[in-house]
Amino acid sequence: MRKLLFYIISFLLFVFPLLFLVYKSFFGLWRWGSPVPVEPGIRAWQVLINEGQFVDAIGASVWIAIVVLSINLLIGVTSGRVFSLSSYRGKSIVEALLMLPLFLPVLVVAIGLHITFIRYGLADHWTGVALVHLVPTIPYSIKMFKTGYERIGTKLIEQSAMLGGSAFQRFYHIELPLLLPSIRSVLFLTIVISLSQYVLTAIIGGGNVVTLSMVYYPFTDTADEAVMAAFSIVFALIPIMLYIILEGCLKFLLPYQHPRGRKNL
Amino acid sequence: MKWQRVNNTFLLIPALLFFIFIPGLGIVLALLESVRSGGTITFGHYVDLFEEERFMTSFLFSLTVTSISTILSLCIGLGIVKAFSPLLKENKHKLIVWIPMLVPHFVWAYLVYSLFNQSGFYSNVFGMAGWIDDRSQFPTLVQERKGIGIILTYVWKEVPFVTLMLLPVYTTLSKSYKEIASLLGAGPYKAFWVAEWPFILPVLVETGAILFAFIFTAYEVPQLLGVTSPQMLAILAYDWFYSGTWSDRPLAFASLVLVGLGIGFVMWLLIYFTNKKRMHITKGIRN
Repeated sequence: MRKLLFYIISFLLFVFPLLFLVYKSFFGLWRWGSPVPVEPGIRAWQVLINEGQFVDAIGASVWIAIVVLSINLLIGVTSGRVFSLSSYRGKSIVEALLMLPLFLPVLVVAIGLHITFIRYGLADHWTGVALVHLVPTIPYSIKMFKTGYERIGTKLIEQSAMLGGSAFQRFYHIELPLLLPSIRSVLFLTIVISLSQYVLTAIIGGGNVVTLSMVYYPFTDTADEAVMAAFSIVFALIPIMLYIILEGCLKFLLPYQHPRGRKNL
Repeated sequence: MKWQRVNNTFLLIPALLFFIFIPGLGIVLALLESVRSGGTITFGHYVDLFEEERFMTSFLFSLTVTSISTILSLCIGLGIVKAFSPLLKENKHKLIVWIPMLVPHFVWAYLVYSLFNQSGFYSNVFGMAGWIDDRSQFPTLVQERKGIGIILTYVWKEVPFVTLMLLPVYTTLSKSYKEIASLLGAGPYKAFWVAEWPFILPVLVETGAILFAFIFTAYEVPQLLGVTSPQMLAILAYDWFYSGTWSDRPLAFASLVLVGLGIGFVMWLLIYFTNKKRMHITKGIRN
């Protein structure tokens, strides 16, 4: 009973909108008062792919997202480790400071940095955009890695230290594999947030850095609804594709990734 | 161990470098820009700001829209987690609920637009069902003066985020507190306030603070679903920032800095007090 209710609610609220977009991208506009369109077509998708800027924009967005992700992983792992495994004076202040960007308007940061970024040639360039995309993502990464390290606890790490493991060995054989859930969440969230930034990209990129969101906005006024729907779906597909690719890479990079038979260790 | 402390401080360097050179520097520069006029320091821009009628309208409008969106998201999110937390432990259910987090806010805004505008999906459905004869009879829900479309988008998009934040609390929340409460004669209502509320309150406050700060100055959704007047604050600030006349630029800085400081201060107070409470609770459990 409760399960049924759950499925009904989540279908109406969460699954239906996505299906609606998929439907719309193939069936196009439903004119008011006319019957529901039933003839599917891939015209909208063709229009999108043939739009020159579109493919370039995917490249730019993905590149920026990957750079942002790498810096997030670096900062997240290092500070997450400190915040969960050690205690020292002033820790809570530092932690609160690093969470601060979550509670402040990012727009302030963007306009504040604008002139400085112009001076150092970071504005109108993807590096500046990537740097400013760090602001809304880093606090989440730190939070997630902190939880990740809390889940690992100190015992395994202490034991490894006693058995003579070096810092690197500890990190590679113990921490990294156990951090996998955190890595996955950070991966996903960072990519989605980076793809979502319009105003930050517009201000710092100055129109020269053309990411997907920069192409999307002018489209909302002009293009037909089927193309808009297809374009919208791309925003969900990119993180999923990147996730699958990066998950594949992690399988090679991380040890102990052959779970068959050892799943319930 | 001393070597370990040295080691760990070293690990904080990337995070601190980031903080100092990106958000820290940005905020300081925005602050300086907002009090600078020619070569002198003045609060004149703030005075100008309060004389601008557009600012006050837009401030109040943003405040209303943001408060309603935040409170509704928290309530609905809490409701979903409370009702379905055993089901939400399974990954497949979690993933269904988190679908809206897959796409950017502006995509969700476009979705709301195409579902709820007067020739959109629901209008069509109503027309087919014979409830309305013409699309003009469908209520205006997007691009209208009350911000209904904006609120709808944010609530819909943020409910999954609220569940994401609350779920860990519910999975670790020990059942025994509730059992004790009901053994001692508390009804379900009382048991909630005694055995659940103190644990979820800090997370609710934190989540609400994140949402509030985010929605108050977000640009993307109001740009698609709003009207020219009243405007959300970010739109106004963006206009001022990019308007042809340079004299408007300090207004953009002043308005955003003012809002930022205001939000920052309230959040700090809230989190300071709830953190104290949270510490109390964790220590209470461990004893």
